[in-house]
Amino acid sequence: MSSIRKLSWVGALAALAMTWAATAMAETAAEIAVREAQKYKGSTVTIVWEAGLQALDPLNFSGPKWEELTGIKVKVVEVQTAEMFTKIMQEYRAGTGAYDALNVIPAWMPDLAQAGALEVLDPFVDKYKFRDELQKIAPTYRDNQMMVDGKIYAFPDDGDVFVLYYRKDIFGDPKMKEEFKAKLGYDLAPPKTWKEFAEIGQFLTDKLAPNTYGAAFFRQPPYAIYMFQERFRNEGGKFFDPATMKATINSDVGVKVLTGMRDDNKFMPPGVEQFGFVENLAAFLSGQTAMTISWPPYGRWAAGYGTEQEVLSWVPKSTIAGKVGYALPPGGHPELAAGFALAVASTSKNKDAAYLFIQWLNSEDVSLQRVQLPYALRDPFRDSHFASAEYQNKWPDAKEYLAALKQGAETGLLDLSLLQTDKYEEVLRQSISKLWAGEDPKAILDQAAADWDAITEKIGVDKQKAVYEGWASKSGAYPK
Amino acid sequence: MEPGAPSGALAAPDRFFKYWLIAPAIFLLLLIGLFPLVYSLIVSFQRLTMLEADTSFAGLANYAQLFRDHRLWESLLHTAVITVIALPLELILGLAMAQLFLERMPGRQFFVSLLVLPTIISPIVAGAMWRLMLDNRYGPINQIIGWFAGKPVTLLWTVNPDLVYPAIIFCEIWQWTPFMFLILLAALSNVDRSLTEAAEIDGAGYWRTLVRIVLPQIWPVMAVAILIRGLDLVRIFDIIWALTGGGPGTITETISIYTYIQGFQQFETSYTAAIAFLVIAILTIIVVWAIRRMGLAK
Repeated sequence: MSSIRKLSWVGALAALAMTWAATAMAETAAEIAVREAQKYKGSTVTIVWEAGLQALDPLNFSGPKWEELTGIKVKVVEVQTAEMFTKIMQEYRAGTGAYDALNVIPAWMPDLAQAGALEVLDPFVDKYKFRDELQKIAPTYRDNQMMVDGKIYAFPDDGDVFVLYYRKDIFGDPKMKEEFKAKLGYDLAPPKTWKEFAEIGQFLTDKLAPNTYGAAFFRQPPYAIYMFQERFRNEGGKFFDPATMKATINSDVGVKVLTGMRDDNKFMPPGVEQFGFVENLAAFLSGQTAMTISWPPYGRWAAGYGTEQEVLSWVPKSTIAGKVGYALPPGGHPELAAGFALAVASTSKNKDAAYLFIQWLNSEDVSLQRVQLPYALRDPFRDSHFASAEYQNKWPDAKEYLAALKQGAETGLLDLSLLQTDKYEEVLRQSISKLWAGEDPKAILDQAAADWDAITEKIGVDKQKAVYEGWASKSGAYPK
Repeated sequence: MEPGAPSGALAAPDRFFKYWLIAPAIFLLLLIGLFPLVYSLIVSFQRLTMLEADTSFAGLANYAQLFRDHRLWESLLHTAVITVIALPLELILGLAMAQLFLERMPGRQFFVSLLVLPTIISPIVAGAMWRLMLDNRYGPINQIIGWFAGKPVTLLWTVNPDLVYPAIIFCEIWQWTPFMFLILLAALSNVDRSLTEAAEIDGAGYWRTLVRIVLPQIWPVMAVAILIRGLDLVRIFDIIWALTGGGPGTITETISIYTYIQGFQQFETSYTAAIAFLVIAILTIIVVWAIRRMGLAK
């Protein structure tokens, strides 16, 4: 009798354990994060976030929601993009522990990780069972923007990718198509090469300017360096000779690309050299340009998605909703320009709470809501985001939009990421501004290559070579 | 000791007591003022960058690097060009405006207040405002020029190398001429009228009176104004940062912008400290020379 009773007890316990295990297995990463974070109720997590629209996500949406669920307050420190790296490093060096969680641009990760500013996240990922959901991040971001030297330092959290936006009404106009074919001998369609881009751009400007120009881009150097990096690699350029680590941006390809960028300005609106993100957006949304290349928010705002909200009142009213097509930029390998990843500061005094917050933000459930916030600038980065039926119904062409983003994520090119990347980027920024000032492309690139070599020498050729080899071996470094 | 005789302490108070009293204040001042300077000097002899943990001694390497750094000397040249052009223009315009407003006129106080407004705007805000004003797409400046030209004009004030310096100098003059004006107006108001009237009676013309009577009287104040503005111009950062960011390329990069880039974008902490000491040395020489030349130390 007693053995039967024992057995029934064991059976009951086993059943209980199985039920508990099943419940635990069914628990999502977001739910785990919330449950575990409740232990830290009453504490505050301070997170660095890009100032402006980006920060409205934690200020208006995720921060208040997290506090409601866990009792943990979220303090958002808004920092301009250009200052973010400096602020993070300064706080780290000072050891203040002022920041718990961080938004970092993936290209900075080698520097931040080497300096010790970022916490290794692997132990937390295992402890809080996030590994499965991490695997569902789109491969380009997951495989290229998460780890340094095989360790997880940040969660890719923003599917920044360049998309070619074009006016379907103009490209589909029968008369325009006929005239184009007669003049250039091929069909008017989104350009597949930069040669086609120049021909189509010039043709449309000739036909439609000054009401509509063939294209415009943001040309201010901080943005244009991404366009250079993209075009340069699509045309076959390599940044360095892997054997010597000598810069090769002044190759024939480099000169061809800079020359092409300068020449393209001729069919763009006057003064395009001064265009930044907003000027280019305004030109496209007002119907002044037929093509542009930019980050994903352009597509949403062109469709009028969420632009009635007060925080987006500065976005010019779209006159082209329903007329915009989405394609990969010429060359087919768009730049995964900038982007953001979520990390934990190594000096945080509240690492578990900070980690749990970023796990919750990055989880399948919560990230899907965040990428649909029209104002927050976070772009789809998980397979489930691209496939979301809810998102695909946000506006009539949203399905095509998401398909273009997914395609871009599959073929995209990573920003150059080395030790002290910003020094190399600074040289590129100067080079672009010299280009718009009228200097000779070859001379500009020769100087840039010399400057890059000097930076590499100072850092240490072998040291940088090892980092470059690691970067160049990634799937998104160069077109395959 | 006789009863009632003063104690030794009272008879001969501690001669150093007064120094003890001010010692805390001096210590505090040294801590705040001198310590950062000494610390920066030490840093300038190290290999400190914000990206690496190396704090080893570099000897004079950072100072030797100063002489090989073409961009540094170019930035000093750009600073000198801006100073040499903007300072006299601000002085002349400020003096002319002060002369104009010296006479009593209706609405004088209102106009003086209005003219001084630019000086109370933060330079970075002024730079951002002028960037917008000079923008080809949104700014009114090109539109106004276009009205006069009779056709739309595309003048890229912050991109075209021929236009960036005129744009910067114009903005600088717009913001800081009122400072000169205000100081010189105060100085001119204190000029002894009997002397200028006597000169007029003696047949001296306007220019002669100005040069021989008025300017010598306001010179000490004018010299201080020149010195203050000169130093400000050597440190110029905000307006240019907002307008051109030092570009195109580096052609409008001043020494302050270059120092900022080295320190806070390139994270070359020790090298930046060396640049700072170079600037301190140059400024000290200029200021000492200027003070002697202007007779301010008399």
